[in-house]
Formats: sequence, C-alpha cells, structure tokens
Amino acid sequence: MNIETITLLTVFVPIVGSFTIPLVGLASKSARSAWAIALGAVTAALPLLLIPTALAGGETILRKAFVLGLDFVLIIDPLSIFMAIVSSFVGFLIIIYSIGYIHHEENQNEYYLLVVLFIGSMMGLVFSGNLIFLYLFWEIIAICCWRLIGFYRLKEHVRKADKAFLVTFFGAVVMLLGFIQIYSKTGSFDLTTMRGAVIPGSAVLLILFGMFSKSATVPLHTWLPDAGVAPTTVTALLHAAVLVKIGVYAYARIFLYTFPLPGAWPKVIPIVVVVSSLVAAAAATVETDFKRILAYSTVSQIGYIFLGFSMANEAGITGSLLFILMHGLAKAGLFLCAGIVIHATHKRDIREMGGLIKTMPITGVAFLLCSFSVIGIPPFGGFFSKFLVIMGTVKAGQVGIAAVALFTALLTMFYLLKVFSLVFLGEAKSPAPEGTRSMVSVVGLLAFLSLVAGIFVAYPTKIVQAATTHIMWWLK
Amino acid sequence: MTPNTLLWPILLPAIVAVIAFLIPTRVKWFREAICLGASAALIYLAFALFAVKNLEFRLPWMGQGIGFELRLFHFSAFILVGLAGFLFLITLYSTVKMSGHPRIREYYAYVFLTAALANGAVLADNFVPFVFFWEGLLVTLYGLITLGRKEANRTAVKAFIINGLCDFCMILGIGILWAQTGTLTISQISVKPEGLAVVAFLMMMIGAIGKAGAMPFHTWIPDAAIDAPVTFMAFMPAAFEKLLGIYLLARITLDLFKLEKGSGLSLVLMIIGAATIVLAVMMALIQKDFKRLLSYHAVSQVGYMILGIGTAVPIGIVGGLFHMINHAMYKCGLFLSAGSVEYRTGTTELKKLGGLAKVMPFTAAGFTVCALAISGVWPLNGFVSKEMIFHGAIESGYVIFAIAAWVGAIFTFASFLKAGHSVFFGPRSEESPAAVKPIKESPAPIVIPILILALLCITFGVANKLPLTTFIQPILEGHVEAGESIDFTPHALSLFTPIAGISILCLLLAFGLHAFGWKKGGKKAYLASEPVHKFPVLHTIYDWAENRVFDLYEQGVIVLNGLAMVLFKGIDRPIDFVYEKIITKTGEAFAGVLSKAHTGHYANYLAWCLGGLVAIAALINALLK
Repeated sequence: MNIETITLLTVFVPIVGSFTIPLVGLASKSARSAWAIALGAVTAALPLLLIPTALAGGETILRKAFVLGLDFVLIIDPLSIFMAIVSSFVGFLIIIYSIGYIHHEENQNEYYLLVVLFIGSMMGLVFSGNLIFLYLFWEIIAICCWRLIGFYRLKEHVRKADKAFLVTFFGAVVMLLGFIQIYSKTGSFDLTTMRGAVIPGSAVLLILFGMFSKSATVPLHTWLPDAGVAPTTVTALLHAAVLVKIGVYAYARIFLYTFPLPGAWPKVIPIVVVVSSLVAAAAATVETDFKRILAYSTVSQIGYIFLGFSMANEAGITGSLLFILMHGLAKAGLFLCAGIVIHATHKRDIREMGGLIKTMPITGVAFLLCSFSVIGIPPFGGFFSKFLVIMGTVKAGQVGIAAVALFTALLTMFYLLKVFSLVFLGEAKSPAPEGTRSMVSVVGLLAFLSLVAGIFVAYPTKIVQAATTHIMWWLK
Repeated sequence: MTPNTLLWPILLPAIVAVIAFLIPTRVKWFREAICLGASAALIYLAFALFAVKNLEFRLPWMGQGIGFELRLFHFSAFILVGLAGFLFLITLYSTVKMSGHPRIREYYAYVFLTAALANGAVLADNFVPFVFFWEGLLVTLYGLITLGRKEANRTAVKAFIINGLCDFCMILGIGILWAQTGTLTISQISVKPEGLAVVAFLMMMIGAIGKAGAMPFHTWIPDAAIDAPVTFMAFMPAAFEKLLGIYLLARITLDLFKLEKGSGLSLVLMIIGAATIVLAVMMALIQKDFKRLLSYHAVSQVGYMILGIGTAVPIGIVGGLFHMINHAMYKCGLFLSAGSVEYRTGTTELKKLGGLAKVMPFTAAGFTVCALAISGVWPLNGFVSKEMIFHGAIESGYVIFAIAAWVGAIFTFASFLKAGHSVFFGPRSEESPAAVKPIKESPAPIVIPILILALLCITFGVANKLPLTTFIQPILEGHVEAGESIDFTPHALSLFTPIAGISILCLLLAFGLHAFGWKKGGKKAYLASEPVHKFPVLHTIYDWAENRVFDLYEQGVIVLNGLAMVLFKGIDRPIDFVYEKIITKTGEAFAGVLSKAHTGHYANYLAWCLGGLVAIAALINALLK
C-alpha cells in the first residue's frame, strides 16, 4: 500500500465502518463489540505504517480537485502522522475499556457508532489540508460529542450536553467567519497554497475563539467540567484522545505551519494561556467532585500545550507535541481509574471515598503513576513534555510566564496528591471491589505506557523531532 | 575501562530494584542476599571508577543539545564512593531491622532505585538527564516515607511538595542558564553572576539547599523522623540527600558560577547557613523524642556546610565539603543507633528510656563516638571540619557568622548530652519497657554498621590527612589562585589556637548548661533543656514553632488553598455564571420577544417581508458600490 491509500483508509475505515456497527448490532451484541474493537484496532494500526514516512521528514499532499476552492486536500507530514497515531491509539484503548464499562447500559449500538465516528472524524481533521473540510470534521465531532455527553439522557445531563454543544458550536462558527475572512484575502481555503500569507489580526482573533472553545481554555472552558456527566469512557475520550486536542492541533497546523501571527498576538497568547492554566489548576484545587477535578486538570494542562506552541521555538514545540502524547496517555489513565472507582462506589465526591487502595490495588497504583506523569515527575513521560515547554518559555525570554507555569505545576502536584490521598488512602469509607479485567488491564497499560514513554522518550521524540524540524523550517 | 562502564552505577542498582520488587514477599533472605551483594559490588565499582577518575559517556538523546551525557571526574567519583558505602551499610542494617515488613519488596526497590537515580544525578553532565535523575528522587522519597507508620502519607506528601517546589525553582534556574549560555552541557557552563544570572544562581541554590534540607525547606524532616522508617532517615536525610545537595551547591558555587569572596551572593549563602545552624539547633535542644532530636540536627548541620561553602574562601569550602561527608557518617550512625534502641525497646521517647549502656554496650559506644563527633570534640572528624569552617567564616571578614556557628556548637553538645544521658546513661526510667522485659544488644547486622561508622569518625579525625588529601582537597584544584595552598592538614588538629580555644570553651559551656538543667529538672536528664525551653520570650517562640507557625509547608498550604479559592470564586465561577444565567436568560428574553411578534395576523407578516426586502436591497446596493 502506498502512503495515500493508507491515509485514506485511516480516515474512511472508521467513518464508513461506524455506520455498519448498528447493523452488526442487530445480529449479535458480542459481535458488535468485537466489530467496534476491530475497527478501532485497524484505525490505530494504519497510522503506524506511516512512521517511516514521518521519520523521513518530508510531506505528501493528496489532492482531489473540486469546485469553489473546496478541493479535498490531505496533508501527510510528521505532525499529522504523530497526531493520528496518538489519538487513534488512545481511542482504541478506550473502546476496549468500554466493553466492561458500558455493557449493562442501553443504546449501546448508538454508543459504539458515535465513538468510532468520533475517532474517524478526528483522523479526517488531523489530515485535512483544507479549512472547510477541517471545519466539517470539527462539527461532526461536536455532534458526536453532544449525543455522547448526554448519553444517560437524564434531564440535567442533556442540558450539560447542550451547553457543551452550544459553546463549541458557537466557537466553531466564529472560527468559520475567520476562515472566510482569510478566503477574502487569499482566495483559497487550501492550507498548502497559503503558506506564509499574512492574515489580519481580526481573523486570528476569530480563529483563536474557535480553538479556545474546543480546547477549553479560560474563559471558554466551563463546559468541559460540566461535560463530566457523560459516561467516563466518553469523558476520557474527550479529554485525552480527541476533543480538547483538536484546538491545540489546529493551532499548530494553522498558526505554526501556515500563517505567521501578526501584531501583538505572539505576546498576548502566552499570557492568556498561562492564566487559563493557573485558574483551572486553582479550580481543580477547590472542587471535590472526582471528575470535575480531573476536567479542570485537563484545562490546566492544555494551557501548557498552547504555551509551548506559542513560544514558536524548538524546545517549546517539541515539548508541546510530546505533551499531546504524554497527556493523552496519563489523562486517559486518570479518567479511566476514576471511572472504575465511580462505577464501584457509586460516589463522585472524593471526601466520601477513602482507603480504596486495599480493595483496588491496581487502580490505585495506576492512578498514582498517571498522576506523577501529569504533574511532570521523572521518570514518567509527562516530565519531558512539561520540562521542555518550560525550558522553551524561558528560552524565549519569558521568565515570568515560566515561573507562573511552574507555580501551576506545584498546584497540580498539590491537588492530584490530595485526590490520591483522599480516595485511595486513609480509612475505608465505602469499600468496593476492583473493576472488570478489561477495565483494569487498560488502566494498568496506560500507567505502564506513561512510564515507558518516559524511560524510552527518545523514540517518540524522533517523530516529534521530525515534525519540529519541519515547523521550524516553515517558521523561518 | 570503557565509557560504557559509566552506565553501570545507574543500571546495576536499577536492575536490582526490579529484581527485589519481583521476588515474592514470602521468600526470605534471597532478596537481602542479592541486595547486599549488589551494594558490595557497587562499592567495588565506585572505587574502581575513583581510580580511573576521568571518563566521559555521550549519547545523542533528544536533539537541541539535549544529550545523555555522563562525566566522571574527581568530585563525582568521590560522591559515588560515598553513596555506595552508605548504601551497603543501610542494606546490611535493613536485613534485620526491616525484615518482616509487609511491604519489604517495595522497600528494597525504592532504596536501590534511589541509589540508581542518585548515581545518575551525580554523573550527569547535561542538565536534562541531571533533572531527570534528580527530580526522579521525589518518587522514591514519597514511596519510602509511606512505608512508615499508618499516618505517614501526610508527611510523604509534605516531603514531596516541598522538594518539588525546590526542584521547580532549580528548573527555572537551569532554563535561565540555558537561555544565557546556549548550552545544556554542565561542564561547558561558567558564567559570572550578574543580571539575570543572579536569579539563575538563587533558583539553583534553592534546588541544592532544599535537597540538603536547609531552612526553610526542612520542615518535613522532623515529621518524617516520627512517621518514616528509621532506616529511611539514616539513608536519605542523613546521608544521600546531604551528599547530593551539597555536591550540587559546590558545583554551582565553584563551576557554574564563580562565587567571589565578599560578594552579595556569598553573603546570602552565609546568612542562610548561619540561620539554619542556630534556629534548627534551638529546636533540636528541646525535643523529647530521640529521632526527632536527631532530625533537627540533620538540619542544623547543613547550616555548617552551607556556611563553609558560602564563605568562598578555600579553607571554608574544604571545611564545608569535609563536614558533608563527616556529617553523613556520624548522623547515619546516630540514626542507626536510635534504630537499634527502637528495635529492642520499641520506643524512642527520651522519657521512657535510660541506662541502656549496660545492656546495649556496642550501640552505646557507637552512639557516644558519633555524638562526640557531631559536637566537635577533639580529635574526632567533626572537630576538624568545624574548625575549618570557623576559620573560613573569620577569613571571610564576617565574624558574626563564626559566632553563630559557635552558638550552634554550644547547643549541639548540650542536646547530645541530654540525649545520651537520657537514653544510654543515667537511671532506667520506670516507664521503660526495659522494666518489663530484659533488653539485650541488637543483632550483629544492626551493630556492625554503627561501629563501622563510629570507627570512620575516629579515623577521619585522627588521620584526617588521608581523606582530606585523597578526597576533599583535590576538588578545589583549579579553583584557587595560582600558588595559593589548598593543603590544610598540618594544623587540622591543633588545640592551641584562639579559634580552637573558643570552640573548647563552647563545649565547656554546653556541659555547664546541661548540668544546670539536669539539677533543676530534678536530676531527670530528659528535662535538662527545660531552662532554655521555659526562658521568657523564647518560650513563646517555641510555642509558635510547635504550632507550625514557621512551617513553610503548613503556611504555604493555607496560602495555596486561599489563592485557589480566590481564583475559583473570582474568575472561574463568574465566567460560568455568564454562560449559565446571563446568556440563557438573554436568549429566553430574545426568544420571548420574537414569539410575541408571531401574532398570526396576515398584515404583520407582510410588513416583516417588506422590511426584509428593503434591507436586502440596501445591502446589495451597498455591496455594489
């Protein structure tokens, strides 16, 4: 198979395949679950074939011409390949975990359809080289997200799902306006033809609005903690694998690869994101709901990713790209651990839990290890990403911002250790058994991978390095 | 020896850690045998490397100047020897003291992982692997403390966060250094502390002294003394962390930045050192628990090292570094003897102990030697290094720091007189467990490490020429002006100098203080410090200190929680209020107005259409223009 075919299959196998899931579901439940896992596995495996291309460093552009500048363009370069590998892999693990988590719920056909479609659209978004297709996939994801957040169909849950949908949809429409403004300047939606074009500051504002709403950055973030009413698998999917990484990825694709940031934007963005990071960490310190804490933690960590990208230097970009991987693994682990705990205790307030490490040792240890990675403690993977982002920030001369970022890391340490102590240590207030085998093995694997990704950081760094070199070349 | 050999001090303990973890809990002796063998092998390896001295290992790692670079030179080789020696003694001691611990697998895994990370940090010649190893110690620190009492987690979190704060400061310092010099290779960096580099210096200094446990980053150590296993205390705060922290401090002041005598930064270091000496020893004096008392001394003694290095005069630096290794030996010995007492009596409360010298003669002898050494009694190693630091302080031109160091010496000796008198000498307490069951000497694996350390204290004092010329003094080579002598051994043990005179006077004062307190407290040794404790004004300050008013962590947590609440209530909730209330209400109001416009009257709709047409026409008109 050549590169183009692999990429097209990566995008369309899950998108087309997702609609066959309910059909299989009509026949047999277990066949449907197996089929969903198979689709996830294929989607996760296909981008791996592209690793040699990524390491070689070049880019391949696939173009199917269409009217009105709506060419279907796929960009296959180290950045998109890296992103596809990370998202599809974490997504795949979450599908496996779902088997145990969701098996007694209703509407499972819809659940698996949406999850696989979700991952497929993410693949489409990642490879898209045309702003309009980027927007289309962006909105498909929003729709999947909307149905999934309100999956339990309680009145309150549906309202939260609406909130998430409205905020992100509004952001996306504003972003679309930005795209149209770019079109009026350059006459194209094709990112590959617009490289280096100068765009007005107002377009940047409009587009950033969309990115920040999707990547839940203060002040467009409060829908994300509220979205915690979703099944934990979905929350993990939103936080770790797909949804919130979209904005970050689009930032890298649009503002690093394509357009130079005009005016004062390079100065303003770091301040916005570091404040977002700090405020979210503070909120996580105050909250007592298990999933809301983790959600705020995501908002806080996303700030770091934006920070590294906004520095536009080698250390910052490498750090942010690694961050996407490390945060994906560790945050998925944290959410899935929380899922096991909530599933077993039927409680969400961390003050009502305690002593769970005795009955669920693997979950407890996995939670601690993933926490270390999110805090940024070596030898876990999260260390390298956070360290490089901060080093990049200092290197760009922003010592004050780096100090705030480090303070945020301290807060992260504080609240995550507090959560661990309250939930897993101390007196056992509501003892509960360990989760099912598929659930426990997934969290165990994620914790293990967080550790391995740190010790053997040189391997993911190779792909990241190829992407960074590519970006740095464009930035010059 | 090939450069690859440099990987072994890191890989060997790491592999042993994994093996120790995988051997099931019920298997007896096998794990201990492997660990003991491996630590003995590490000692051999460390000495072999010390003989080679110069070796470099460089491997590309993450691009941008981030390489996996290790470098062996005199100083790092010396620290490796020290680390390996303490690892062996602690492992030997643990075979008995920790046996039967329910989480014994984790214990050995953490201990050996600590050794691997510490060796890596010492060998690293690039800041990224350096921080990787250095900050990785947080994990094992946390793990080891949690192995103690049931309530130990609180202290473990405290230790983790305080050390994390110091590490983050250090990372900021490293970032600034990178931005300024453009390289991450440690051996290539040498900058003058000016401008932003001063910030870098201060930040890295916090990383170093925080690891060593200086004030105000010490508060977890006394808590850990109660909560964590005593072997941890002897291993980390007494030995490993001192070696690492002071190693880094010396690298910062000697190599990375050229600290100059009389400069502002030198003054900063000396102030921190002097304050740590005096304040921590005052706290140590009034403690009522053997281990807690020792832990405050572990803090206080760091002050001497920082003061010595901060003087930036050769004799002070040599004294500070010599004090580092001396302190590691006697403080490790002291904690181990406290552990030996705990092993046999089950308690370390001074009140409940007494008269153990008769039944535990070896432990008592080891304790006595180490206690005299830490107090700076002639001719033990503590005397030699402390005299050098006094000399350095006076040479630096600030006599006040020498006075602070002497004040520290008075109370150090006084508190060890109290501890020794209460535990080993004096009458047996009625509450003593010894009154219930007969007590005998601890088994050999516990006693031998204590005696070895005591013997080393004597050797390093009497034959101070050997360690000073082999280990310490060569560190300064290339760092002093040409022609200046760095050999301070000839007068190391002289008794008839003004400085030695004052030191001896201090010891006599301490003896007097103890005797006075002992008499006043009804001849109860554990009450000997009460006159100082009850002294007006001091009493109030002591009360505050006991209530953790001066505890950086306890106060910091209040601030963190407060700040978090302010940000949450001040920014996050108002933003959510906008979404939840203002936008929804506005939307509903707007929709209400629109729905009212839908009256069902034909004429109304016609008017809407007309208005719309006009608007579109105007828009097209505007666009066409």
